[in-house]
Amino acid sequence: MGIIPQIIANSIIAGAIYALVALGFNLIYRATNFFNLAHGAVSVVGGYTVFGLYRLLGLPLWIAIICGVLGSGLVGYILEKILFLPLRKRKSSQMVLIVASLGAFTIIQAVIAIIFSSQFQTLFDSSMETKLYQIGGGIITQVQLIILIAALLIMGTLAWIKERTMFGKMVSAISDDAVVARIVGINTNKLIGRVFFIGSAIAGFAGIMIGFDTGLEPTMGMSLLMKGVIAAIVGGVGNIYGGVLGAFLLGFAENFGVWQVSGEWKDAIAFAILIFFLIFRPKGILGKK
Amino acid sequence: MEYIIHLIILFGIYGILALSLDLIVGFTGLLSLSHAAFYGIGAYAVAVLSTTYGINFFVAALIGMSVAAVVALMIGFVLRKFKDDYYALASFGFNVIAVSIFLNWESITKGPLGIPGIKRPELFGFVFSTNTLYMILTLALFALTALFVWHITKSSFGRVLRAIREDEKALEVFGYRITRYKLAIYVISGALAALAGALYASYITYVDPSTFTANESIVILSMIILGGLASLRGAIIGAAILIALPEALRFVGLPMDVAAQLRQVIYGLILALLMLYRPKGMYGEYEMK
Repeated sequence: MGIIPQIIANSIIAGAIYALVALGFNLIYRATNFFNLAHGAVSVVGGYTVFGLYRLLGLPLWIAIICGVLGSGLVGYILEKILFLPLRKRKSSQMVLIVASLGAFTIIQAVIAIIFSSQFQTLFDSSMETKLYQIGGGIITQVQLIILIAALLIMGTLAWIKERTMFGKMVSAISDDAVVARIVGINTNKLIGRVFFIGSAIAGFAGIMIGFDTGLEPTMGMSLLMKGVIAAIVGGVGNIYGGVLGAFLLGFAENFGVWQVSGEWKDAIAFAILIFFLIFRPKGILGKK
Repeated sequence: MEYIIHLIILFGIYGILALSLDLIVGFTGLLSLSHAAFYGIGAYAVAVLSTTYGINFFVAALIGMSVAAVVALMIGFVLRKFKDDYYALASFGFNVIAVSIFLNWESITKGPLGIPGIKRPELFGFVFSTNTLYMILTLALFALTALFVWHITKSSFGRVLRAIREDEKALEVFGYRITRYKLAIYVISGALAALAGALYASYITYVDPSTFTANESIVILSMIILGGLASLRGAIIGAAILIALPEALRFVGLPMDVAAQLRQVIYGLILALLMLYRPKGMYGEYEMK
């Protein structure tokens, strides 16, 4: 078994997780046109909700996962209603929204650390079977396979919603021109609320998956967020398909980069890619929308 | 009494950081999240030069400031075209890369272990050995910084910076070379942050990468946003409040870990609530656009 197939397998798994974070981020960006930095912390909320319900309270796993996804969605929704919506109504600048979301991020991260301590936790417990699958020379675990399949399903569903449903078209309308969208009778704020819920729920799912795959830490939200943002920018910010493309590109670049240099440089590699794209192709591979 | 002196020293260090960051964020209108990187460069310069090579603190601090200035020149060059969210993100990226270098360049920085045993400053045989003496040194350098920053903001150079913030395009029409101004202020600000880092390293006598993460950049940003952007009084008072406020938590008798997280909650709340109710901060002369 060569090392290259294994690196490819790892890259795809990493790409799938980044893609989920980038999807939610892009969805929210499309509708509101600002960088929601709280998105990373919202993702961690999902992971810790499952940790609390499943590992600490002993509820069935599927209930815990549903609660985790809904919990993240709810937190995102609440943030929109109590923080971002009032700011947008006042026509606050992007800077104000970014700083506010940074504040929200800091609060959520710290509250999670207070409730669950800042120690490293894992959702995976010994009773779960660790089946290994060999695909094309690379080995992936059962959890990783589930991550991959779920991520693909979510991406497909979102693409379908975007292209085929009224909801998707209305969101596109808002992102093209919010004022016109309102004039033609779209209830933009209600819709943006839903977008926040969906985007945050997807991020929450990503947080849960990471909890099973590698483990949870309250501070992981920042690096997760950054991977999502970088994927989004590399692919084309606000572009749903671009975000997925960027996520896999980032996954590959990171894993091959780590193979060549060393594991500790992972974040630096990701940001080097970001800065490279910001300089030479700020619109991303596919461009906006 | 020792404790009050400790707080005053911290105030002096953060006062320098806040004043220098305000030059970029408040006066020039660029949302920089890279300040802790320069803070770290100054601290590591003193740590490495004084422990390994036995170089005098003041010489080491000057070298650190020069290194920070050169690095700022390079980063500033990359950042010159960005604005708002992209500026925030890219500068954040540089902070992450800087921390990766502190962590991984082990032959110089000793990696995550950090560098202990940094000596107190010495000037012509006179050692700033006690905390009281160190406080006087810190306050003197803080006062010098404040004076220097005040001069910048009152000069024609400072007026150009404010004009960049208000209307970059118009200024360009008048023939100002905006990039040079932006680079100049970024270099000055970075060198001042390195001075604060030098003071920190020599005071705590130990440095490690965790002190200079992007989170620290956010803390410094909170200080100037609380005090009010583009106001020197605001930066100083903001730094004082954010140093003093969390200390009050110490007396409530919470466990260390919880107290540290509560601090973060306070920072986050300050950012979010200020954005909602008073984006100008306490004495702000400039509201983020």
